[in-house]
Amino acid sequence: MVRLSDLPDYERDHLLSKNMPPLGPPVWTTPTKPLNQMRVALITTAGLHYRDDQAFDFADATFRPLDGGESPDNLIMSHSSVNFDKTGFTEDVNVVFPLTRFHELVNQGTVGSLAKVHYSFMGAGLLPQAYESGASQVAGMLKQDKVDAVFLTPV
Amino acid sequence: MQPPRALWVPFPLGRPLGKADDAPFQQSVIQAALNLLHRQTGPVLEDYPHDAPAIDNETPATCPVSFATKTSEPASWKTRLSREIGELAPWYELGRRRRGGRSLVGIADASPQQNIQLLGEQLDNQALPTDFVWLKRAVEDIKAYYFEAMTAQPGDYDRETIHKQFWRDTQFGAAVLSLYRQLQNSDDDRQKMIARILAPREAIGAATGPLKEKKT
Repeated sequence: MVRLSDLPDYERDHLLSKNMPPLGPPVWTTPTKPLNQMRVALITTAGLHYRDDQAFDFADATFRPLDGGESPDNLIMSHSSVNFDKTGFTEDVNVVFPLTRFHELVNQGTVGSLAKVHYSFMGAGLLPQAYESGASQVAGMLKQDKVDAVFLTPV
Repeated sequence: MQPPRALWVPFPLGRPLGKADDAPFQQSVIQAALNLLHRQTGPVLEDYPHDAPAIDNETPATCPVSFATKTSEPASWKTRLSREIGELAPWYELGRRRRGGRSLVGIADASPQQNIQLLGEQLDNQALPTDFVWLKRAVEDIKAYYFEAMTAQPGDYDRETIHKQFWRDTQFGAAVLSLYRQLQNSDDDRQKMIARILAPREAIGAATGPLKEKKT
């Protein structure tokens, strides 16, 4: 998550001008096992998907499942916002969706295992409530996948 | 979003892990985030203390092709745009080979070459596109093609310089800004919305002066 103070003036002013409704009470869970026994999933709001998936619409609260066994190099991006840098993702998927880095952590024994499926949303143009249905669906699937923790990468 | 544990990072929007192709640095960011799992109370919002590794700035980034200035070109939009994307083709192909065949081009149905010709014709005929899904996907695909070509040069590159070159020096950057202005000046709310997802606030501000538009 980028610091507000590091953004250009026009971007900071734009974000501060949004009068967003307050969110609910914070969600908090204390882990019951060490990281090297945890199963971790990745979720990004970068609008990633495979080439033959349906691209994200201009404002779109749906999500795309990303196969944990498939190379992340097959992912493309159809995020509608033009106000963030995409050249890093062009060079290296891991700068946005660090699946290779997490495979390294599993191989080192730092992380227990990775989810079978990871998830991609497109965070733009809609209020948080619009994502509630998709987020609940993903939460259910993460439970089915026995996931203990989620690593979220917003753009 | 209201994550229970969040790491604030000093990187540009779009690069949450900091730097491309720098596995040790990316791992240090991930490790800092994973360390927050052990906190017993929250919500947690912690600063990541390191900037992304600096790029080699000793040699300024050079454009792989020489983009003609907008005012000295009497040719039509279609001719200028077709010539420009043609000159970028060998660099795009080189970049794609260097990335093991990976490219972000392909959101649109037609090729960037076909789409840029169609956009050029519409600009020449002063006809605003009416298929906005096609327009957005065509523009994003052509932008991806340009950026992949422009970043195929050897050595490191500066993100800001590449973006400035694209929006200030290329015919296609000028074409998108022209479309932005036409759509933004429309009375149709949907056309105004499309304008905002064609060109970034940074480029519009540089082309028109201080920004007054504040909507997403």
